[in-house]
Amino acid sequence: MESEICQVTDEEKDILQEIMNIAFGKAAADLAEAINIFVVLSVPNIQLLKGAELPDYLRDELRDFTDISIVEQNFRGKFRGSAFLVFPAGAGKELISLLDTGHEMVFESGSIDILEKETLLEVGNLLIGACVGKMAELLGDLVTYSPPKVVIENHPHEIIPNNLFNSEYTAIVMKTLFSFDERDVSGFLFLVTTHDSVVWLQNSLARFLQQYE
Amino acid sequence: MAKKILIVDDSPISRKMLKSCIPAECIKEIQEAGDGLAGLKVFKEFLPDITFLDLTMPVMDGVQALEEMKKLDPEAVIIVATADVQVKSIEKVMGLGAFHVLKKPPTKESVREILLKVGECRGTEHGI
Repeated sequence: MESEICQVTDEEKDILQEIMNIAFGKAAADLAEAINIFVVLSVPNIQLLKGAELPDYLRDELRDFTDISIVEQNFRGKFRGSAFLVFPAGAGKELISLLDTGHEMVFESGSIDILEKETLLEVGNLLIGACVGKMAELLGDLVTYSPPKVVIENHPHEIIPNNLFNSEYTAIVMKTLFSFDERDVSGFLFLVTTHDSVVWLQNSLARFLQQYE
Repeated sequence: MAKKILIVDDSPISRKMLKSCIPAECIKEIQEAGDGLAGLKVFKEFLPDITFLDLTMPVMDGVQALEEMKKLDPEAVIIVATADVQVKSIEKVMGLGAFHVLKKPPTKESVREILLKVGECRGTEHGI
């Protein structure tokens, strides 16, 4: 593997932004259908960062949150990386009522924490899977996923490890902000691609755009 | 007869993709705008026959722009071209008078199909 910084053109960023926009729109529609919620979408943002800059970038993006919940899931294919779905702490509790888990709601003896975690996992799995899956499909790839894991109520500075990615490698960071209508919940989805994916991604973006030349 | 077409979308790539899907024989002139407010300004001056309008945009979003455009011209043919394919979003814009919703990414087929529908409603071919 090479350690030099990759270059990504503005046009490639634009295509990636549009592809993430389409993919997150699909994910939102899937979630809306599953749990009867309306997701307010925003324009995604694309950044190219060195691995060493990534922890500080994420901490800075999350500076307004005192406590957060993160659903983290890795995706593997030619399109490869990690997805971080970030909610303010307590979002899971807000979302619990939306999910018909088929279980009786018992909010005693710490079970609320388990239910909150399950809710975040469910929402995270759906949003991340649908978004990453659609991006991979548009780019001509098929990805597999690690099981999602959730970390609840840690301060962002504690939750983001300094060695998230190799410090010399390039990561493409895609961020989209969303909120749930009629619920006091908003969050971010970050997709961070690995260095190995970048060249493949550039070729795939070029192929995607060729359809429209 | 070819038509005047307005594309309102904050993404230059998205506008390029859509333009490439519109049959050449349908185009008399195309103008573009990068947000809802700019789109509204062009809409007033250009008087397009068909407007393609994105929803998620800075400055003024597509829903607001759609409302304003329909106030200016209740008969305006406005096709919402969006990645927001939630049922509630589609119902909302259709309720506000959008002619149709074009799901992103556009294809030559999906655009042609919609233009044919415009044509059927206007009694012409290909919306022209």
